[in-house]
This record gives sequence, structure tokens and C-alpha cells, in this order.
Amino acid sequence: MEDKIKSLKEQAIKKLEEIKNAQDVENIRVEYLGKKGEVVEILKNLKNVEKEKRKEIGEKANVLREEIEKLIETKKEEIKEKEYEDKIKNAEKIDITVPVDENLGSLHPITIVQRELEDIFTSMGFTVEDGNEVETEYNNFEAVNVPHYHPARDMQDTFWLENGELLKTQTSAAQNKIMKKYGTPLKAIFPGRCFRNEALDASHENTFFQMEGMMIDENVSIANLIYFMKKLLSEVFKKEVEVRLRPGYFPFVEPGFELDIKCPYCNGVGCKVCKNGSWIELCPCGMIHPNVLRMGGIDPEKYSGFAFGLGLSRLAMMKYNINDLRVLNSCDLRALKQMKIK
Amino acid sequence: MYISINWIKDFVDLDGIDVEKLIYKFTMSTAEVEGIEKKGYDVNGVIAAQILSVENVENSKKLHKLMVDTGKEKIQVICGAPNVREGAKVVLATVGSTIAGQKIGKATLAGLESNGMCLSEKELGISDDHSGIMILDDDVKIGTDIKEIIPIEDVIYEVDNKSLTNRPDLWGHYGIAREIAAITGRKLKPLQVEDLRQYQKLEELSIGVAVEDDDNPLCLRYSSMRVENVTKKQSSWKMKVRLYYCGMRSINLLADMTNYIMMELGQPMHAFDNRIVDSVNVKTLPEATKFKTLDGQERVLDKGTLMIWHNDTPVGIAGIMGGLESEIKDDTTTLFLESANFDAVQIRKTASKLDLRTDAAAHYEKTLDPELTEIAIARFIKLLKEEDKDIRITSRFSDVYIKRYPHITIEIDKDYIDRSIGKVLSMDEVTTTLKNLEYNIKVKGKNITIDVPTFRATKDVSQKADIIEEIARIHGYDNITPESNLWKIAPVEKDPARELEYSAKELLATKYGASEIHSYVWYNTELNNELGIKVKDNLKIVNGIVRLDNTLRHEMAPTILYAIEKNMKYMNECKVFEIGRTFEYHFDGKEAEEYKVLGIGLASTSKSEKELVYTAKSMVDNIVGINKNINVSYSNIELVQNNWMHPVNSFSVKIDRQEIGYITVVHPKIKDRINPKSAMVIIELRMDILGEIAKNDIQYKEVSKYQTVNFDLSLIAKKDVKYAQIEEIIKNSKMEYLIDYNLMNIYENAEKLTGKKAVTVRFTIGSYTDTLTKEQIDSEREKVLNALKEKEIYIYE
Repeated sequence: MEDKIKSLKEQAIKKLEEIKNAQDVENIRVEYLGKKGEVVEILKNLKNVEKEKRKEIGEKANVLREEIEKLIETKKEEIKEKEYEDKIKNAEKIDITVPVDENLGSLHPITIVQRELEDIFTSMGFTVEDGNEVETEYNNFEAVNVPHYHPARDMQDTFWLENGELLKTQTSAAQNKIMKKYGTPLKAIFPGRCFRNEALDASHENTFFQMEGMMIDENVSIANLIYFMKKLLSEVFKKEVEVRLRPGYFPFVEPGFELDIKCPYCNGVGCKVCKNGSWIELCPCGMIHPNVLRMGGIDPEKYSGFAFGLGLSRLAMMKYNINDLRVLNSCDLRALKQMKIK
Repeated sequence: MYISINWIKDFVDLDGIDVEKLIYKFTMSTAEVEGIEKKGYDVNGVIAAQILSVENVENSKKLHKLMVDTGKEKIQVICGAPNVREGAKVVLATVGSTIAGQKIGKATLAGLESNGMCLSEKELGISDDHSGIMILDDDVKIGTDIKEIIPIEDVIYEVDNKSLTNRPDLWGHYGIAREIAAITGRKLKPLQVEDLRQYQKLEELSIGVAVEDDDNPLCLRYSSMRVENVTKKQSSWKMKVRLYYCGMRSINLLADMTNYIMMELGQPMHAFDNRIVDSVNVKTLPEATKFKTLDGQERVLDKGTLMIWHNDTPVGIAGIMGGLESEIKDDTTTLFLESANFDAVQIRKTASKLDLRTDAAAHYEKTLDPELTEIAIARFIKLLKEEDKDIRITSRFSDVYIKRYPHITIEIDKDYIDRSIGKVLSMDEVTTTLKNLEYNIKVKGKNITIDVPTFRATKDVSQKADIIEEIARIHGYDNITPESNLWKIAPVEKDPARELEYSAKELLATKYGASEIHSYVWYNTELNNELGIKVKDNLKIVNGIVRLDNTLRHEMAPTILYAIEKNMKYMNECKVFEIGRTFEYHFDGKEAEEYKVLGIGLASTSKSEKELVYTAKSMVDNIVGINKNINVSYSNIELVQNNWMHPVNSFSVKIDRQEIGYITVVHPKIKDRINPKSAMVIIELRMDILGEIAKNDIQYKEVSKYQTVNFDLSLIAKKDVKYAQIEEIIKNSKMEYLIDYNLMNIYENAEKLTGKKAVTVRFTIGSYTDTLTKEQIDSEREKVLNALKEKEIYIYE
């Protein structure tokens, strides 16, 4: 009996060494450990063994069973491992360079830039307001102190409508309504589409976007305006920008400024964007004209404020290096899809 | 406008001042400078010389051989100019000198050596005249450097005219000099003028001004004087060079004089030939009239145009251009001088109507100070006497002064100034700046009383804010330290309508791969015709450049169709959208209504109309669902309103009973004109209405802890049964444990299922308190099948 146990073990080891697949392992398991397997047979037949040896044989048979079980497990692992190795070896090589359809559309560059700016402004405590596109002459001109004799009111610059209204020529057209709606203190921006009766070329559009902002409170000074604009533009261009203010005339502000920034693309060395001028004229701004405050129901003796305009179309062109303003209204997806969504 | 630094130096001492730095300061304190040009610095070693002899050059029609005395030597020069003559003093560029930066060397012309070059005005760079060489006055000493005779060295800078529109005082060199005096802190020299009081006893000229509107007279002032015995024809070199450098052409002494005064003081002037005009009337034209202006053109003038008349004959368009008849001629020796002030708006309107934007008109448009007319005449006579000492003044200063601007006084507090600027300035700086800008001021403690000079009082300076600007800009904005302000902190209210817009845009771009476009708010009439799109008549632009495209859009759909048309030329599939404005006008003269509308266009050559409609529906479901958590309902539109809508497959989109838009398959007639191979679907959604609708808060529904059961039912129904009807039956079937149901697919096959369709729905049932028993499950199934059976929907075997 003991010999049999011994030879069974050797036999099993030998057989296991030779086999290659999981099914054969199973067959061996059945052969030795199955219900009618050889080891099980020994255990079953223990009753036929003489009494004094029964215990010893039983123990040995059990050890044999455990050993064979272990051997089988090891073999199974081995085969599984081998199978994975083969699977990996034979895996299809995927060509990652094949183009895929990401099914991503695009937002309009103005939307992207506008949203960026709105986020900056709201983080600085500004409310975002909306204006109409068709406006009254009062809101577009009168209420922002554009006098009757001002050339801007001439027929040629403005799209006049048959009912006496007009397509707003500037976002400032919303100033009066906003002042009346919110009163003081006031911090608001109002982006919008504006219109000018102009022939189109690479730098002239009859339909374009501006973003205007105003801030009114007690004791708002020119120094505050400079501070604010510098902070704001540093945020817009994601770097510290140098700004300079020089006199500029806009009827709705007094004093009025042209704000230039040291070209953020070349740091003023001279490049395509600043046309080698190193300073870029970016943003008309100024202290809100007392007449404008008064018409908005705000006492200019008590309150002061500043207003500024940013050319969204211009900023979008700068951001994406677009050289022709007409691209923005072209509806041409070959151009617009390039901007993606950020 | 071009500014000559030499001219400025007549009025401000600029010794020791770096001119380029000064010009930068001018940009920073006054107005934008567009460019700087140095003149005459590239001319060196050019001298006055005298022609001693002139010989013709053999075999040349034009060339002459000259012997020229340079004062040091006599040299041979070959010259092609027609006006060479013996004894003439000329401008000679000797060998080794430079003109226009080019070095002059020895040359050989027609085989003859030329040791220099006699220069024309053009070659010297002081005019465009190249008809002959320059002839200098006989009293010029030969050998003298030309720069000692003619002030050709100058720095010219160009100021952006637009940045001067609100500053009538800056339209002449004297006004610019006043700014420069304030910027540099130097004194402005008083203007040298003729004392006109000495002529007070002479004849008064006859000037009549008809005032039609007392409040808004078209002519504010008309001043005149008569000058006789003007015999000199040419202006001095100094005057010619300055005019040329500043962009004007020298014509003759009198024309140059009027231009010179305009460029010095900003006041336009006109000289009439006194033989034709010895008295004037200023009044409007009673009817449209033809008139020949001094540029030789005959123009038709509207009734009501303000004219200068001599008796019953119009002789000039007031403030714009004189007439041909009365202009100064070669033999004119007596002139009737006009120095007047006209209403700015009227001048601008007439000038743009006639498309005759003369320099005079450009000046008048800025609202000039009427006080200037007298100063200009006094200055004119002073300078004319310097140019031609033999002139005689034969009239007194004759003047009709219709309207004076009100005198402006501004009270301002020093603390207010500091507060407004955000920096404390010294009282001394404030008062010095104001004085340098020629404000009359009285200081009492911290209070300053400011008299605004007339040349600033026509429209520019009227209140405290204007004074703040004067002080701050001269101080220099660069010198103000940026400073924050402790503004009250308050949370920013986000506008839900705006959030909705961004959210919708992002969803369309990221989930559906659609692209946002920007278009125009008016229809493209030509394209409408081409594509057969019929639009509702709507509010019109009355003065658009493109006459055809004057109707504002009432719908977004045409805009979207234009974009599809454009892009489907080179794409197989296109998805575009825009949130734009549409307008509604009732042709009653009242204000138009404005709506905010999302337009979406889907076009594809591979997808069916049905697929596109379902994509469209998914878009609308998600836009509303994500943002508002509200269910949208869809129904067929019975009668379509627009011709791009499909008579059968167009669907109204509603929230409760409120219509918020539609989805439509594009009418095949229009679709085929755009692209016959593709399917097209349009969506319009009123974002303004949607923005107003309140959001449904999402309520969490507990997930059952017990196992749920799924079963599919394949149903057979008549073809025209809508899925919504099946849903309705399921909802009303009184199933006890229904958690959810979903459409798996709809199968249609004309052969196998004539007039019918198979609809597979997956049901999810479950209990929150127990695991369902087989009996419960079967009973649920029974319930729904029975309910369906009642409506003739059966299980598909």
C-alpha cells in the first residue's frame, strides 16, 4: 500500500509535467481525486487494510491527496499564466495614430472670450446684464450725453429703422437702463452685439461685439480706475500687464481716456499683434460724465464712477490670431470649428 | 493735422527740451500723435550760388552748361531746367553735399562734367514743384548755407484728427502751443497782432446777416476788413515751407495767408476780390441753385443752404468754399477779407451733403470760438504787412456779432479735485496748470473760482469734471498711483437666463457636436429668393448700405438655412446653432419687440429625416430637462406658418400649454435647392420664454433595496398608433409595482407587418418592501397586457 501511494505520487507528478492545457489538468484531478479517483479509492478501501496500519496509511493517503491537489493548483496557475501570455502575445496591435471622430462641436470665439471675461468680472463682484439690439435714440445717444450735433448721430454711421429706433451702435446704450435698475453702488458689465453702417473689410464689420462695464460708488477716483483696469487686464491676459492712460474723447465720460497696454504678446518689443507699435490701444474708458449719471437718476455730487469698453471681437481676434474680422460672422465651420469650446 | 515744431517755437521757448520726449508727453496729456517726421535734416552742404553764364549744350534740347559761382570757386554745372538765366541766384548742391540723404558726386551729362546740381523746390523737399530750379532773391549772399536762408529743418508731428474733435482750440498751432506751454511749464508768448483800433475812423464795410432763428443763428459772427495795394504774389520761403510741411500747397500770397492763419489760429478766412465783392449779405438760398465753386465745379445747392451774397448774387458757400467768380486773380490788388463764424452742425450737414469736406468746413464743424474772427484779422494784417509792406488798410474793422456764447464760471473745491483724481496735488500745481491753460482763476482758501476762456467755452469745458480732466491730464495719468477702493462686498446674483444660454450652448457643442455661429440680424434677400424662402414683412433699416438686405429677421430659421447652405457645399453633415435676436414689428411706428431665440440646424447626407428629428428632440429634451428639470411635450403642427416648415413633419414644442418653439423637417422644395442629397431639420426655441420658466427642483427618489424585475413586451399595434398613446395606456394600467419603462425599438416592415408595427417596451417592476413573487410579477404583466388589449394592442407572437 505504501508503495502504491509513493508510486501514485510519482506518477501524478510525471503526468502533470507533461500536460499543456486546463482540460488535461481536470482529467488528472478526476483520475486521482475524483469520486472514483485513485487516491479516493485508497481512502475508500482503508477498511480492507489491517487495523494497525490503517491509521498510518490513512494519513499518508490524505497527505498524498493534499500534495496532488497542490500540484494541480500550481499547474492550473501555470497554464492560466501561459494562456494570458499567449493572449497578450497575440493581441491585435491597435494603431493609435488612426484619426477618431471625437464628435466635439465648437463655441463661437466671441462666446468663449465673453464667458472668460464674465467669469473674471463676476469674481470681482460685477453683475452681468443684457441689453437690446434694437434701441431707442434716447438710450443710444441722448442718455449717454451724445449731443444732437455730434457726428455719431449722422445718418451714415447708424442703422436707423423705419419706426425711428436704431440698431444700437454701442453697448453704452444700456447704461441708462442699468443705472435706473440698480441705482448705487453699481458694478455691472453688459456685453452685446453692436452695429455700424459700414462697408465690410478685414478690419470693419457692420456687426460686432463689445463689452462695457461701469462701476459707481462714493469717491471713485481716476486712481481707482487705473488700479481696476490694470488688475482686470492682467487677469484677461493671464499675466501682469503694463497699462497707460492718455486723453481720449467719448461723450459719455469726462475725463475720457484711451487705455493702451504694453503688448502682452511681445512685451513691447514689437510684433504682428501690436504692429510693432509696442502699445496696443485696447479700451476706451473714463469717469462717467455727470450728465450721464444725472440722467440715470444718480447724483453726481455724491457719486462718481468709471466706465470702460472692451472690444470682444478684437479680443477674440487677438486670442486666436484671426486676421480678418469677417471670419467671425462668416458662419463658415471650416474656420469656426477650429476654436473648439475653450 | 500736422504740427510744425518751428511754428510752435514762435510761441513757446523750447530751448533745452527733447522734442521727441515732448511729443510723447503730448500724446499722454493732450491727443494721440500718429507719427513724427524730421524734415530737412537729410540736407547738408547745400548753398546759395550764382549763375555766371549759360550756354546751350550741343545736341541737347534741354541741357545747359552753366558756370556757377559758389563764393569760393567757379564751377561747371550741367542743368536741364528751363528757367536758368545769367545772374540768377540759385540753390546749389555741391559735390559732397547731401540731399534727401543722398550724397551728390561728380556727374557726366552729355559728355560734360557737372560739379553739382541746381535744385528745384521738390529736390530740396520744400514743395512738389519740379517745373524749374529755385531762384533766390537777389540780395542773398552767395556761399551761404541754404538753411540760413530757408528754415528747412523742422520736426513735424501728426496728431490724430479724431482725438481733437472735442477741442476746437487745438485746430491751430497757437492752441497746440498753449498745450505745450502747460505741459512743459513754460510761458506762452502773446500773439503778435495788428492794433485794429487805429483804423476805427475808416469806412465801415457793408455786412448784412439775416437771422432766421434767434436761438440758433446759422451765422454767429461776420467780420471783415478791406486791404488795398497788395502787389506781392509770392509768399515768403518761411511761410511756403511751413504750409508745405503741414500738408498744404502754396498757391499765391493771399491764398497762402488765409491758409496760414487757419493753421495758426484755427480760424478759416476767405479773401474776395474787392472788384467783385465789396459788401456782403449772409442768408440762405430761397431755392435750389446751381453754383460754381472755386475748384471750378458746378454744384447744385439745396434750398436753405447758407450762402455769402454780394447784392443778389451768391459768391460763396458759407464756411465751406468760395465761388469761382469772386476768387483772387493774378491782377487782384484789393481784397475784401472774410473772417466769420458759422453754426457747426449746419456746416457739417452741408459739407457732407455736397461731399465737399474742405479744411474750412472741418474747422467750423468743431464749433469755433467766435471771438477768433477779430483776432484772426488782426493777425492776418500783421503778417501780411511783414510779407508785403506796401499794403494799405482802407476800412475799419467791420463786424456783425450775432451770438456770443455764455460766459462760464466754475467753482471747484481743492478736496474735490484730489478725491476725483485719487491723489493729493499741491494747490500750486493746480493753479499753475489752470493759468498756463489760460483760465482766469481766483483762489479763496480751498475754493477755486475758474473763468473759462472763450476758446474753451463753445462746448468743451462747462463743468467740474472738465476741470478735473485738465488738471489730471497735465499732471500726467502715468503719475497717478493705482489705488484700490474698499468697495462694499456683496454676492453677485447670477442671471439664470444667461446661465441657461451657456449651458445650452455647451450641451449642443459637447454632446451633439454642433457648432455655434454668428450671423446678421437682417435677412439676406438675395439668398431668400434663390432658396425660395418666404419671410414675413418686418421692421426695416432705412439707410443700410446694401439696400436689398434691409429687413430685420422675424425668425431665426432663414439665418440657420443660410449657414447650412454655406457649409453643406463641402461637408456631409453639419450641425449649427445660434442664440440670436428676432424682432416683431406691427407697422404702427411703435417700438419693436425683441426676442431671444435659439436656432439649430441639422443637415446630413447619410442620416434620415427621422433620425435628425429624433436628434433634434433629444437636444430640446436635454436643454429643457437639464436646465429646468421639466418635461416637454411635442405635437404635430396642423397648419404651418412658414414655407420652410414641413407640412406633415413639423412639431410644436410646449411646456405645459406654453409654446416655446418648434422642430421641423425642412420643406423638400427649399431643402432641394440647398442640397437635394441631404436631410435637414430646423429647431427654433424661445430662450427668453424658457429663461422665465421656473426650475423644478430635483427630488431624490429612494432606490428599492429589493430586487427589481425586468421583462420585455413586444407589442403589435396599428401603424398610426403613437408611442405617446402606448405610454398613456401603460401609465393608466394600474400596475402596482411599475418603476420604469423604456422603449427598446419600433419595428416596421411593409411585407411582414402590413399596416402595423411592432413596439418593444422594457418594464422594470419592483417593490420597496419585498421581493416580488412570481404571482405578483405575472399579475403585473397581465394588467398591462389587458389594458393594451382594450386598445387593440396585442402581444407579438
